[in-house]
Amino acid sequence: MALIRVEHVDKSFASRHGSIAIMQDITFEVKDSDFLAIVGPSGCGKSTLLRLIQGLDRPTAGAISFRGQPVAGVCTQMAMVFQSFALYPWLTVSQNVAFGLEALEWPKEKIGSQVERYISVTGLDGFQEAYPRELSGGMRQRVGLARALAVEPAVLLMDEPFSALDALTAESLREEILQLWRDPALPPEAVILVTHNIEEAIQLADRVIVLSRRPGHVLETIDVDLPRPRDRKSGPFYDLTDRIYSLITQGGAPLPPPSGADGRSAS
Amino acid sequence: MAGTWDDRAGIENGDRPSSGGSPTARTTRGPSAASMPSAGRSVALYLAIPVLVGVAGATTLGLSFTGLLPYLPTAAVDVSYSFLRMLAAYAASLGFALAYGYYAASRPTGERVMIPVLDILQSVPILGFFPVAIVFFVNLTGPGSWLGPNIASVFLIFTSMAWNMVFGVYESLKTLPSELREAADTFGVRGWKRFQRVLFPATVNRLVYNSVLSWTGGWFFLVEAEIFTTNSHALPGIGSYLSFAASAGNGEKFVAGLLMLVLVIALLDFAVWRPLGRWAERFRYDTSPSGEGEVAGPNRDPSGRFRRAAAYVTRGVRSGVSRVTTPLVQLAAITVRPVRKPTAFQRSAFYYVALGAILVSVWLIVIAITVAVFHIFTGPIAPWVRGDLLLVPFAVAASTARVAGAYAICLAIALPLAVFVARRPRASRVGLPIIEVIASFPATALFPVIIFVLVPYLSPNGAAVLMLLTGMLWYLFFNLLSGVRSLPPDLEEAARSYGLKGRQFFRRVLFPGIFPALVTGSITAFGGGWNTLIVAEYLQVGAHQSLSVLGVGQMIDIGYARAPAGYPLMVAALFALVATVIAINELLWKPLYRRAAEQFRYD
Repeated sequence: MALIRVEHVDKSFASRHGSIAIMQDITFEVKDSDFLAIVGPSGCGKSTLLRLIQGLDRPTAGAISFRGQPVAGVCTQMAMVFQSFALYPWLTVSQNVAFGLEALEWPKEKIGSQVERYISVTGLDGFQEAYPRELSGGMRQRVGLARALAVEPAVLLMDEPFSALDALTAESLREEILQLWRDPALPPEAVILVTHNIEEAIQLADRVIVLSRRPGHVLETIDVDLPRPRDRKSGPFYDLTDRIYSLITQGGAPLPPPSGADGRSAS
Repeated sequence: MAGTWDDRAGIENGDRPSSGGSPTARTTRGPSAASMPSAGRSVALYLAIPVLVGVAGATTLGLSFTGLLPYLPTAAVDVSYSFLRMLAAYAASLGFALAYGYYAASRPTGERVMIPVLDILQSVPILGFFPVAIVFFVNLTGPGSWLGPNIASVFLIFTSMAWNMVFGVYESLKTLPSELREAADTFGVRGWKRFQRVLFPATVNRLVYNSVLSWTGGWFFLVEAEIFTTNSHALPGIGSYLSFAASAGNGEKFVAGLLMLVLVIALLDFAVWRPLGRWAERFRYDTSPSGEGEVAGPNRDPSGRFRRAAAYVTRGVRSGVSRVTTPLVQLAAITVRPVRKPTAFQRSAFYYVALGAILVSVWLIVIAITVAVFHIFTGPIAPWVRGDLLLVPFAVAASTARVAGAYAICLAIALPLAVFVARRPRASRVGLPIIEVIASFPATALFPVIIFVLVPYLSPNGAAVLMLLTGMLWYLFFNLLSGVRSLPPDLEEAARSYGLKGRQFFRRVLFPGIFPALVTGSITAFGGGWNTLIVAEYLQVGAHQSLSVLGVGQMIDIGYARAPAGYPLMVAALFALVATVIAINELLWKPLYRRAAEQFRYD
């Protein structure tokens, strides 16, 4: 059963010189227990797509549904992890993790135990009363992750969660996310990861959707059938990386504009 | 416990923006560390200031300390009157700032009107409206009521406090990173919870810093308002206390009043603003999209809450004002468009001549309208007023010249001083807190001394310029200091490695580097100057002692003092002043500001 269905989605933004098409005719499905990665060059609308899926923004055309229901307004059964962490500097680690639960109006004691659980799951024990400012980038993103997981979302949305981290920190956090993902007791039924890092996508995801340059459209959907843990230096890993890379660099030509749309004329 | 290896990686890469955390790097660069002395030292400092004032005041006037003692209780009572007025005005400002700032930031249509309106209001010399406000509120509450003058003075203090707090709220909501809003959206945080958890906390840091400045400005205007009303509707308060003491030649009483005022200000600073400022640090947020350590605007500057606050005040200058002013600027541009291709000098000469011409015609129009309105509604205008009305253009010109002169002196003092202080971190660690406390002391409290003691030595004009100086210097100094401080060290190093020195260094590196701060400081300094005019140009206490020099402040005061026949003069002078201030802001400062923002940016 499809958890999320994205059908023929277009998105364009009004600008001073007319409307700019960000993406065109995007169609894909997210199934239960899917770890999906969306890759593409910068400006292809990856992050916008993620926001459309959660309902933070509306598509110009097309439809997005979650469990068969069209997404109207913000869907709180999904939770987002932000590139910039988006932690509230005036809230402690615990308070940040509790942020979403308070909005869901959980009873106080339940919030407390839930927060403790996800703080320890993400390895933040001992940092409960710290402020985000006092944490390193890697620790901050753990808080972002704990905050998202704590609301037990059906879908975890990750918007370039590792790109603000240095390479070593990012690598260790990726490993930990895979471990959490493998734990059946932990919430998300599906993960959508947006990234411009091809290797990261192949390392983490079961399927990779490759988007073209702006206006973004789906160039190809690639199943990653490599056994985990995946070895970046293995031949198949390298071949897959190479394939996606050439898809993006060569196949990135825009679609012939569908009748009526004049997406490129503006940019 | 922070021993996982990725944390160590974060700290090793402390200078990388992405690692963000690097708490050690943050705190050493942090705002508090640079200028804030240790607790023990600051206690000593705060005790030292009132004592020093007492000793210095007493000894220079040749008084005995025991002579001060009997006056202290009455001075304390008067200071608490003033303090209550401040408190009332501050509470009103806080509510106003939150409401106005919130609506301006969240309603696009509101923003288009509310912010330009606010910008005009804050650039207008509020003190000029004080006489009008007294007349209004006294008539409203009935003559003889204590309520009228009190409301008028609270209103005046409110107007001096509110603007910069509104801009603080507005800008912190506008610069709140979009992910922080989005995160609230993704978790469905709405309504009151959103205000309580996200929006209000976002404004706290700015509100606290801007409150410091609001109180400083508030004291300034409070004292000025109380001095101003000494003659007509005397308000019990420290300003009138000092004014009476000075006019009676009672040195002990004056010093006692000064002592109490300094004590209250130092106490507030030590017991309220410093702890509050430290607490508010928590509410700072990073504005760059990647969430790194970069902090918005003047916050980037590492030291001195006062300086940061001073810079905030004028940040409103850049907000959405051009919509209102473009027609004016275009008009000026049309007027000055020459036939042949002129040199740059000719072009700017044309521009300023046109500016002057516009100003004079605006003055004349304002006078004509005022005369017409008063003639229609209150009957013919008294002959002496007619004569004085014709002098208004000259008065505005004289006042402008005085403010410009005081500004030049300020610049000559502030620029070298700022460079000196900025270059000596150790000296500034001790010196800055002292300068900050001195700066937060309302110079208006010393005006009676200037007027009654120094006029014979300085000539009335000199005394007026001296008073203007006290109302302008700090803005310029703190902005320049902030500018010199935030000059990127690598730009300076590059200059040194190429052997740039002296004049070359000033022209190529220092001046362009601090130009934005200079413009901001100049705008605020002029703002302070216009406000100080009202007291600096005319003051009469008792029958014999007075100060009066031709100027727009004098016109307003004379018009007020000789009510009701003088009202046309008061109103005409006030509006001529307002028109001048707005014109100078729009046609001189804002183009410079835009240029500064475009050309001399290095981030």
